[in-house]
Amino acid sequence: MDSSFDSSGIARPLAPVRPLAEAGRPAVARDTQGRAPTRKSRWPARLDLLQSASGLFLAVFLIGHMFFVSSILISHEAFYTVARFFEGAYFLAEPRPWLVSVVVGVVLTVFIAHAWLALRKFPANFRQYKAFSEHKAMLRHGDTGLWWIQLWTGFALFFLGTVHLYGMLTQPELIGPYESADRIWTGSMWPLYLLLLFAVETHGGIGLYRLALKWGWLEGRDPSASRRRLRIAKTLFSVFFLGLGLVSLLAYVQLGIAHADKAGERYVPPRAAVVKLGELEFALSRRPGG
Amino acid sequence: MMTKNTTKGPRALTLRILRSSPSEGVTPHWQDFHVEEAEGMTLFIALNEIRETLDPALQFDFVCRAGICGSCGMLIDGKPGLACRSLTRDLGPVITLAPLPVFELIGDLSVNTGKWMRGTAERLETWIHSTREADLTAVETPMEPELAEAIYELDRCIECGCCVAGCGTLRMREEFVGAIGLNKIARFRLDPRDERSDDDFYQLIGDDTGVFGCMSLLACHDVCPKGLPLQTQIAFLRRKMVASGV
Amino acid sequence: MRIIYTDVLVVGGGLAGLRAAVGARRRGHDVIILSLVPPKRSHSAAAQGGMQASLGNTVKGEGDNEDVHFEDTVRGSDWGCDQDVARLFVHTAPQAVRELAAWGVPWNRIKAGDREVIMDGKRVTLTEGQAAHGLIAARDFGGTKKWRTCYVSDGTGHAMLYAVSDQAVAERIPVHERMEALALIHEGGRCHGAVVRNLVTGELTAYVAKATCIATGGFGRIYRVTSNAVINEGIGAAIALETGVACLGNMEAVQFHPTTIFPAGILVTEGCRGDGGLLKDAAGHRFMPDYEPEKKELASRDVVSRRMEEHIRAGHGVKSRFGEHLWLDITLLGAAHIDGKLREVKEICQHFLGIDPARDLIPVRPAQHYSMGGIRTDARGHARGLKGLFACGEAACWDLHGFNRLGGNSVAETVVAGMIVGENMADFVESAAGELQVSTALVRECLESEQAKLDTLLHGNGTESGAELMRRMQDIMTDKVGIFRTGELLQAAVEELQGLLVRSRRIGLRTRRPGANPELVTAYRVQKMLKLALCVAYGALQRTESRGAHFREDYPRRDDANWLKRTLATWHDDFQTLPTLDYEALDVASMELPPGWRGYGARNAIEHPATAGRAAEIDAIRAAFGHADRFTVQQALMPFDHLIPSRFRGRNARLGETS
Ligand SMILES: Cc1cc2nc3c(=O)[nH]c(=O)nc-3n(C[C@H](O)[C@H](O)[C@H](O)COP(=O)(O)OP(=O)(O)OC[C@H]3O[C@@H](n4cnc5c(N)ncnc54)[C@H](O)[C@@H]3O)c2cc1C
Ligand code: HEM
Ligand code: HEM
Ligand code: SF4
Ligand code: F3S
Ligand code: FES
Repeated sequence: MDSSFDSSGIARPLAPVRPLAEAGRPAVARDTQGRAPTRKSRWPARLDLLQSASGLFLAVFLIGHMFFVSSILISHEAFYTVARFFEGAYFLAEPRPWLVSVVVGVVLTVFIAHAWLALRKFPANFRQYKAFSEHKAMLRHGDTGLWWIQLWTGFALFFLGTVHLYGMLTQPELIGPYESADRIWTGSMWPLYLLLLFAVETHGGIGLYRLALKWGWLEGRDPSASRRRLRIAKTLFSVFFLGLGLVSLLAYVQLGIAHADKAGERYVPPRAAVVKLGELEFALSRRPGG
Repeated sequence: MMTKNTTKGPRALTLRILRSSPSEGVTPHWQDFHVEEAEGMTLFIALNEIRETLDPALQFDFVCRAGICGSCGMLIDGKPGLACRSLTRDLGPVITLAPLPVFELIGDLSVNTGKWMRGTAERLETWIHSTREADLTAVETPMEPELAEAIYELDRCIECGCCVAGCGTLRMREEFVGAIGLNKIARFRLDPRDERSDDDFYQLIGDDTGVFGCMSLLACHDVCPKGLPLQTQIAFLRRKMVASGV
Repeated sequence: MRIIYTDVLVVGGGLAGLRAAVGARRRGHDVIILSLVPPKRSHSAAAQGGMQASLGNTVKGEGDNEDVHFEDTVRGSDWGCDQDVARLFVHTAPQAVRELAAWGVPWNRIKAGDREVIMDGKRVTLTEGQAAHGLIAARDFGGTKKWRTCYVSDGTGHAMLYAVSDQAVAERIPVHERMEALALIHEGGRCHGAVVRNLVTGELTAYVAKATCIATGGFGRIYRVTSNAVINEGIGAAIALETGVACLGNMEAVQFHPTTIFPAGILVTEGCRGDGGLLKDAAGHRFMPDYEPEKKELASRDVVSRRMEEHIRAGHGVKSRFGEHLWLDITLLGAAHIDGKLREVKEICQHFLGIDPARDLIPVRPAQHYSMGGIRTDARGHARGLKGLFACGEAACWDLHGFNRLGGNSVAETVVAGMIVGENMADFVESAAGELQVSTALVRECLESEQAKLDTLLHGNGTESGAELMRRMQDIMTDKVGIFRTGELLQAAVEELQGLLVRSRRIGLRTRRPGANPELVTAYRVQKMLKLALCVAYGALQRTESRGAHFREDYPRRDDANWLKRTLATWHDDFQTLPTLDYEALDVASMELPPGWRGYGARNAIEHPATAGRAAEIDAIRAAFGHADRFTVQQALMPFDHLIPSRFRGRNARLGETS
């Protein structure tokens, strides 16, 4: 009579059965169930950490990325400067677009790693998918809904992000005010960017919020109050970057329309900018190791 | 005990109940029952009235009818909650009631939470593990009062299963231990009388059916009728288990 | 024919049953527990206030020991208890608390230094000593000389039940849930197990065991207004009664708890008053000191309940649409205390009354709460009249509580009795008498006869409604066999109940489903419950005195001369409509504490002829042992060591006590 539910049979896994009790055992149960001989793998812990780390990395990267991309709002030169900066124009003798490819390569790797790690959390089959979506509809619970959004945006990112990254990887030299604007407008990439923008800002915002809850960051004295504040912060985050992204995208689109007839022409910064650039170059080259 | 409400008459309530009887092959279907609302009426009172006057075969589980035993968890308008302490006045005129998902369905609103909970207890070994035999006649080992209170805070779980039913992860992956299981581990981890180390706990919950399976949906935290600090406990445990595992 | 064999069968997964099962299991025997519900849902979980054990850690418990606890218990029982059992109990209770501590119960602990408490409506500062820091704390409870009630906030029963239940899991004791014992299998004065119905499938199974233990809790649900869970229907006690050989003791001793919320009957713990809460009437007047100047709100439960009803009768109740009630005021304890130590109370007030007890008064009125009566056993927990049958916990009349149980003594009893009965069952199983010798013919017969009864209900052409009979019975009990009893009312109750019992033989069902069928369950249970109700009502009618919770307005005095005896009820054949009552005299000559005044309530008992003689004898013994320690004196007065299982014989160490 060792099974605990003779009448119903246990559905959940049981610890291994230990030998029958011997008489007069101590009044406190010992560690009696006997450990499974195999130790548990350390990988689940590592993967969980990596999933979060990759998400965090991407989110932080994207914050920076959005500011760089939106430098178009300052001026064409500003964006040009940023683009050349990443090609190493100010450290090296001349811009090296392959440097961007390397960065893209790194980001792409993290991106794929994150996607792969997160994919473990996807519904594995239709039954699971249905169970969750029914559950969500019935429960109408905020954070459960957020996860569902994250799932779908993540799914979308998989395609949208890949296309974008592939472009950046293969044509790193084609980043610049006109080049980008042409790609967006004349190259008809704007719908993709629009979707990508929405997807990534929602996904990233929710991701960061959930990251904080998942690891218990910023819990403070009153965790439920902190959670309310985090939710607000999350919304502000998404709204801000969406707004910034939309305005920038609009700027690219306008520039793209204006530049449509000269599509394919590379941007050459005006002289003043080159002079300024020279100064900057000078300043930068004096940095140790620069 | 119907009472006259001076301003407007008592509300007519419709209880829309998901009926089923797996043993007889009766598949789930909705059935409406009408009762007149009474002052201070809880779902416990309403359901018993239905059973006494309308359908003696209606199945549901109540034990303490005071919100302390955890028997009466069900989906009330889609949300897991304790029926015995849900006042009808806090609900609309049409109240839908369904059995908790995940658990084995016995019939109508009755599910086998006991079996699931026992399985969890065996799987997670939710008891004090100690190698020392307690000397019952000796003065007990002291414990900091604050620590005792902190343990009780986590010990208050009544195994109602609301968190289980509220967890989307569990709905997808039934082998997930759920918030209740994680909370139990947190409880024993806190208890100095339990001699298990973090490494021991890692053996129990250090995988994707354990703490790493939780996707921080937090419905568990939000539906727990006892207000257990599940959100912070799971996060805490995750940090500890990562520290122990990595 | 489905038969399951085991060494020990424990019917009931509450504190008592679980602890007994763990005890027997640790002695190496196979144990199966049956329960109507998952064990952790048993009503033991509802105990809020605490568990009494004379640890004497806190300042207000200083000087507490077994002797003081013993006296409180015997006085509380109005001398109705078995003093051997009371001794055994007070001796083992500290061990029980400490064992539970080792099993993980997060007992509230003492913090050294100053602490503000409310006593008698006033703020008082208590200073706990450094040596006590971190030891198990205790609170004040009604009817005790010392602060002795160990507690876990106000979820004591919950914490205890979970710890013990987890131990049962650790011991891998199978619990067969949603199983109901319907009858005992017995022959020639020997019990062989039980016929058990699966509440989901309706299937009957015979559980054959060397030792059977009934730990099915109280039977409060024979009353309409009760603090008890809806499963506390006393079927365990009823099936013992139905054997015709085992008997139920003191069934008329029913306790009413002073503070259950009105009108739902949900309990708010005595700890509310222990921690300083006050009872008030419609005018906001604190009335208890008028009646009980000494103990006030903290007199024993029977006294407080009666005074409350008396006060309502005198026209001081608060009128509401459901009837009259009084107020419990805990606002003076402050929100911090309520949030920390009275959380369940707070939740109950919020969810069932929609009020905040830190700001609002709680509407309360007494309700049925505890069954002192039950299956009569000896001090070893062995049922009278049926070998191999044991009983413990609220289902038993081991007779620790006599005619009134002290708050906090019940959960303590469940665990202590579990410890003791577990050992005794193991002894029995290991002894020659414990051999299993049962014929399958007997088992078949029992199964068939139970099946036949169910079939009659399911397929017969009865016309009575079980639910209706149940409601009537509950109303009769609450209206006529309540706090104040009179011969007239009791007579009427007995007659009506007899009528209901006869009608209950003709119950018909609308649902003929054999498995999960709540209507069927109500039907067979009400048949059994009516017998219990009759034992209570008839016992109360016959007992023409007032003792503890049994209060006869027509016989308001305690009558030791005629009634210092225990009622024993048997039910020989199924066609009886009244129990057969016998009486078992309590032996004054062997009492350690001969009858006297309780220290509260009326002081008008009719003395037993042997009391004076025994009192003189005791004085002589005490004088003779002038310098001896308290253990030696006690031993001379009323030896009880032989009743303690050997593993619990050691002396309890205490902070301030070197022995
Ligand atoms: C609201 C409330 C508060 C209380 N507070 C306190 C307190 O603060 N301090 C204190 O000392 N006492 C208190 N008591 C009393 C105390 O809780 C109970 O007396 C005690 O817990 C009873 O325990 P038990 O193990 O005997 O029975 P229970 O805990 O009632 O368990 C009975 C078990 O028997 C099973 N069962 C019943 N019938 C059958 C059957 N026919 N077949 C199979 N199984 C069956 C049930 O499923 C259950 O598992 C309180 C009681 C109530 C109602
Ligand atoms: C292929 C693309 C992507 C997919 C499929 C994807 C999918 C997911 C999924 C399903 C989750 C939830 C995991 C969980 O609940 O445990 C998640 C989490 C997260 N994602 Fe993504 N994502 C993608 C890209 C991105 C990008 C570009 C960012 C950067 C903004 C990002 C940031 C995050 C963050 C911060 C989290 C939270 C991490 C965690 O919970 O551990 N993701 N992602
Ligand atoms: C190192 C890698 C990356 C580089 C070099 C890069 C570069 C750029 C550039 C130059 C633009 C401007 C438009 C264009 O030229 O086509 C742009 C836009 C954009 N990128 Fe990236 N990107 C990188 C990674 C990512 C990733 C991982 C994401 C998210 C999955 C992303 C999302 C976007 C979005 C949404 C826009 C549109 C911005 C807007 O609306 O203003 N990028 N990126
Ligand atoms: S954690 Fe809360 S919701 Fe979950 S079982 Fe325990 S009490 Fe119920
Ligand atoms: S709802 Fe489920 S996913 Fe985690 S936070 Fe709660 S257990
Ligand atoms: S019946 Fe006990 S919690 Fe509802």
